[in-house]
Amino acid sequence: MTKLRHLVWMLIATGALVLSTSQGFAQSRPDADEPGLVADDSYELDPEWQKQVVYYRTNEAPGTIIVSTAERHLYLVQGNGRALRYGIGVGRDGFQWQGLVTITRKAEWPDWTPPPEMIARQPYLPRFMAGGPGNPLGARAMYLGTTVYRIHGTNRPDTIGTAISSGCFRLVNNDVADLYSRVPVGTKVIIRQKPEL
Amino acid sequence: MRTFRGGLTIGLAVAALVAAAAITYERYDTRTLKRTVRRGDVLCGVNKGLPGFSIPDDKGNWTGFDVDFCRAVASAIFDDPSKAKFVPLDASERFKELQNRKVDILSRNSTWSMSRETNYDLYFPAVAYYDGQGFMIPRSRNIDSALDLNGSKVCVQANTTTQLNLADYFRANNMKYTEMKFDKLDDVVKAYDSGQCDTLTSDASQLYALRLNLSKPGDHLILADIISKEPLAPVVRLRDDDWMMIVKWTLYAMINAEELGITSKNIDEALKSKKPEVMRLVGTEGSYGEDLGLTKDWAVRIIKHVGNYGEVYDRNVGADSKLKIPRGMNQLWNAGGVQYAPPIR
Repeated sequence: MTKLRHLVWMLIATGALVLSTSQGFAQSRPDADEPGLVADDSYELDPEWQKQVVYYRTNEAPGTIIVSTAERHLYLVQGNGRALRYGIGVGRDGFQWQGLVTITRKAEWPDWTPPPEMIARQPYLPRFMAGGPGNPLGARAMYLGTTVYRIHGTNRPDTIGTAISSGCFRLVNNDVADLYSRVPVGTKVIIRQKPEL
Repeated sequence: MRTFRGGLTIGLAVAALVAAAAITYERYDTRTLKRTVRRGDVLCGVNKGLPGFSIPDDKGNWTGFDVDFCRAVASAIFDDPSKAKFVPLDASERFKELQNRKVDILSRNSTWSMSRETNYDLYFPAVAYYDGQGFMIPRSRNIDSALDLNGSKVCVQANTTTQLNLADYFRANNMKYTEMKFDKLDDVVKAYDSGQCDTLTSDASQLYALRLNLSKPGDHLILADIISKEPLAPVVRLRDDDWMMIVKWTLYAMINAEELGITSKNIDEALKSKKPEVMRLVGTEGSYGEDLGLTKDWAVRIIKHVGNYGEVYDRNVGADSKLKIPRGMNQLWNAGGVQYAPPIR
């Protein structure tokens, strides 16, 4: 009887261990980049990450983009105390930056050439990938200043609201297309980080 | 003779002073902190049941934004959030009950207004939640401003300030509307849900709660516009300054903690910080807690047990709650809102 109980507990413990390690592995994947995966456009975002008009008080001019990485929100200032708010995915720890940049280039269904630093960290990534539905940059990209960072779409809508990227800001494809149609090259983009302790 | 008269005058003067002091003592309570400490708990007047703000479950465990604020006060004093005891109060009796010393603090979605301070000898130390009247519309209407509501049929509860604000707002903006008024809030919601009106107006926090009970909540949205001022604040008795300061700075500690990036999760890390603003808040520099009549780690206790302002907001009414109310005006002043705490220095 005691032996049987032991056996049952051991089985449960083993099961739990397998489950926790597999989950841990999923979470610790260095990136949520899954080249080749086609975005599920019917994926429904949590209300927190859905595009919406919100109250937003700022001195910045209408048309300015403000990215709040701690909140995982991107605001397009509308003036009159309001902004259009989009849910975003942001850089993971160590890949967070802040400051003022401008949009220097815009592209539809952009090609992807992962920068050498990224290849060094994640050697399994392709050296080049043509634009299209399986491309991690998604439907649109807006290039930020002279940095390697962009505001872009994604083929992984489930990563919106997380801190997982290499420093880029990702929106779901519908949202990035919407934002793309509203902002010209030259748009001011302000990146805000959570304060450091 | 002269000495007798002089003695009489002095005697009368002393008697008058004693009487005046006695009257003052009667009228103003100045001992809430001492009584609270002696009793060993904070008596907190709350709403009987308002989702997101204060509501008991079937086991009598209270949750909500207002409830957590009381727990923060109890944590600051006793290092123990369970020292907050909740006393459900009706809207009509709440200010009288506070005045009669039945509770130490009212944390009961109460709008701060001038007459409430002057008529009841009460004091609202600081705004905990900026509420205000808003509009809910079917998503299919495809508008994003209350200024696009011209010609709407508006569902509203009769004989409320909500009804008056509605009239003021439409008149001020040269818009026409048809009022669909009902005595009971339930009927207002039913009428809206069955498509009898184009929009429903009420306080924004309430609109999010009402939306949960519609037949298809996802088909409706709440506009960002706020057309009235309903600053919800904790309330204490007037002229009880030691107590008022603790209540006020408890809230400000929570707001400052969020601004500095200090949370219940990284509080231990914050205790090792060398950043002066962080050090002053967590008590590794200065004697701010002692000066308040508490301990050095007063704010650490609040943050550890209850969390910073944003954590409390998200958990009860924001993104991590059922209500999912966007931060809006309750976002920090440097992140799009108006929540602003004076600095600790």
